[in-house]
Order: sequence, then structure tokens, then C-alpha cells
Amino acid sequence: MFRLAIEKALNHMINVNSINIERLDNSLISLYVDDIDLKIFFLCLNSRIFVIENSEQKDANVDITLNKKAFLSLFKGTSFEDLIESEEIEVNGSIKTAQQLADLFALSSIDIEELISQYTGDVIAYQLGRTIEKIKSATKHDKDSFVENLKNEFTTLLIAPSRSKFFKKRAS
Amino acid sequence: MDKTTHFGYKQVDVGKKQGLVKGVFDSVAGKYDLMNDVMSMGTHRLWKNYTIASSNVSEGDHVLDIAGGTGDLAIKFRKKVGASGKVILSDINGSMLNEGRKNLINHGIIDVDFIQANAESLPFEDNTFDCVSIAFGLRNVTNKDIALQQMYRVLKKGGTLLILEFSKVENEMLKKIYDLYSFNVIPKFGEFFANDEDSYQYLAESIRKHPDQETLKAMTLDAGFGFCEYHNLTGGIVALHKAIKT
Repeated sequence: MFRLAIEKALNHMINVNSINIERLDNSLISLYVDDIDLKIFFLCLNSRIFVIENSEQKDANVDITLNKKAFLSLFKGTSFEDLIESEEIEVNGSIKTAQQLADLFALSSIDIEELISQYTGDVIAYQLGRTIEKIKSATKHDKDSFVENLKNEFTTLLIAPSRSKFFKKRAS
Repeated sequence: MDKTTHFGYKQVDVGKKQGLVKGVFDSVAGKYDLMNDVMSMGTHRLWKNYTIASSNVSEGDHVLDIAGGTGDLAIKFRKKVGASGKVILSDINGSMLNEGRKNLINHGIIDVDFIQANAESLPFEDNTFDCVSIAFGLRNVTNKDIALQQMYRVLKKGGTLLILEFSKVENEMLKKIYDLYSFNVIPKFGEFFANDEDSYQYLAESIRKHPDQETLKAMTLDAGFGFCEYHNLTGGIVALHKAIKT
């Protein structure tokens, strides 16, 4: 459903705005979000984009590797060049092709955070369990401190999971 | 000696299967939509909606719906391709095409073309369509490999093949319930609603003889498609295979 949602949103945006994606034609672009282990492929053919899993393991023309933060920021219009300069994105292959795909992300109205949260829901649930265990062991002699720590950590985890020290530890 | 193939659980001469399948669909055509609703408890509409959502069809596209029967998919495709697009509904069975024509007229749709055609020898030029669909039809085709090659041939580069078909249930518990339902309840529904128990017995048997998800995916890739993925629906009772011509 994650891939289908992105595919529908991108193609809808291409059609509604009559965007010419001829320059992407015949490209297979791999995108890997390393900290959430998300790998998807964008196949551009027949003036449309297919978001596929590539179980046939065909070689991509362009490989893009980035972290979740950079992936989200692409959809919010952050400059692709800035992300490359700050080494948050690694591109193997044509940077122009990667840039064109990134431009489509920026133009789309995909609620990528919602989609990602669905994808990573199970990861966060796992982290939540581990967080409780860690807080419990760290504060087992102090009930008030336990509740406070729990509140703080839950708040961090639910609002900005990437800032959670437990999540950060796992991602590194 | 002639080669044989399956017709439900029976082995029949290859040359006879098409006529036997025709008999089934001639018999059920008038009650086809009603029976689909009864047997699937309406779920077939969700499966078809998912198929349309996965189609990647846009305005101006040319779509061929094979074994299109009563036109459920053709109606939805017509809306997606708009006035600049084209939808062709084909079926090997004249009775089903007649039901489809009536159904589309009832929906106010008069600009879908109807063609009586065998999926194994599609009467279209190469590279014609942006999307070819076949919903609950492939398992009735005698030579599926040839039909898949034909679908590949008539698709444009970057065209999408959608195969919505009954498949293999993954969960053992669900499989037991599903077997009980399809072999004991569905034929009785057929007798009650369509006065035809045998055709619905064939339905249950033909589903079990149809290739499972991975086998059908391999067949699709063998036919020439560059990519093929499938998505199980309702626990694998039905699977949607989506293949792309590259």
C-alpha cells in the first residue's frame, strides 16, 4: 500500500500539471532510506511512474541512498543540491535523473510522514517496548522519577521518534 | 491421441475445454452479477476497486478488458480514461457480452467497444494498449501461456497487465473455512439463485486448478514482461498480479 500510495500521488500530480517526464523515460531509479531499511524502485515508462519492489533484481540506472530525515525533507521542497552538499544524500549514477525525481517529490502533495509512520509503525512499537524496559530499569527505585521519565520519553518518541535517545541508538 | 487439460477436476481433450467453459457461462450469464455479490458477499467490488486503483491508467489511455463479462471494470476504466481515451470490452462468450452491453447502457455508457474474442488470439495490432486487464477470466483460458503472450504483444512499452484471479489461500485455518464454503455452500447458492449447481461446482474446482501466485508470476515473466508483482487480497482468496511491459 505504501508503494501504491506514492505511485498514485506522483502520477496524479504528473497528469494534473501536465508534467513532461520524458527525460526520465526508461529509467529505473533505486531509492534506499537506510535508517528505516526502506528500498523502493521508480520505473519511468510510457509517461508515467511505477513504484515497484523490483523482485526481479534488475540493475537500477541510478541509486539514491539517504536517511529518513533527508527523505522527508525532499517532499517538503528542500533543495536536492543542499542535501548532496551536506552529504545527506548519496547518488550513484546520473545526478540529473535523481534531481528530476526529487523535483517530482517536491511538487507532489504526498503526506509522506503519514505514509512513513505507517511503514515504521512496527519499528516504533518495538522501540516503545524497549523504552519502557530501559526506563524501568533506570528508575526502579524512584517512582516519581519513573513517571516523569516515562512521560518525557513517550512524548519524544511519539512526536519526534528520531530524537529519542533509544531510537537514535538503534539507528546508529 | 489428443492432449488433455483440466476442466475443473475433470481431464478433457484440449479442444473441448473452450466449448465446456462456454456452456458454463451461457448458463450463468443472466445471474452472473447477482451470484458474484452473493458468493463473495459483495467483496468482489472491493477487489475490483483495488484493481482499478492499481492500474496506473490515466486520461487518454487505451484499455482492453479481456473476459470483461458484465462490464464492472470497463465502467470504471471508462471514467478514468475520459473522453480522449478508449475502452474495449472483450469476451469469448456472446451471452456475457450481451449482459455487459446491457449493463453499460444501464450505466449510461455507450462509448465502450465490444469485441467477441479469444484471449489466445487477440484481434489487435502490436503495442496498442496502455493497460490490459483480465478479472476472473484467466483460469478459464485453455492455454494460459499463449494468452499471456498475446496480452504482452498488444500492450505498449510501459503498458500494464492486471490479472485479478482467485488464488491460493496462505493461512491454513482460512483455507479450511474457504474450502468448506466453496465446495459446500457456493454450489447450493448456484442451485438456489441461478438454478445451476454444476456451473458453481466447476467454479470451485477451477479455482483449485489455477496456478498459485508465484507460478502465475513466473508465467507472466516468461511471457516477456519485465516486472511482475502480486498483492494478495482477502488472505490470498484472490490475488492481483500487476505486470509491466518494458
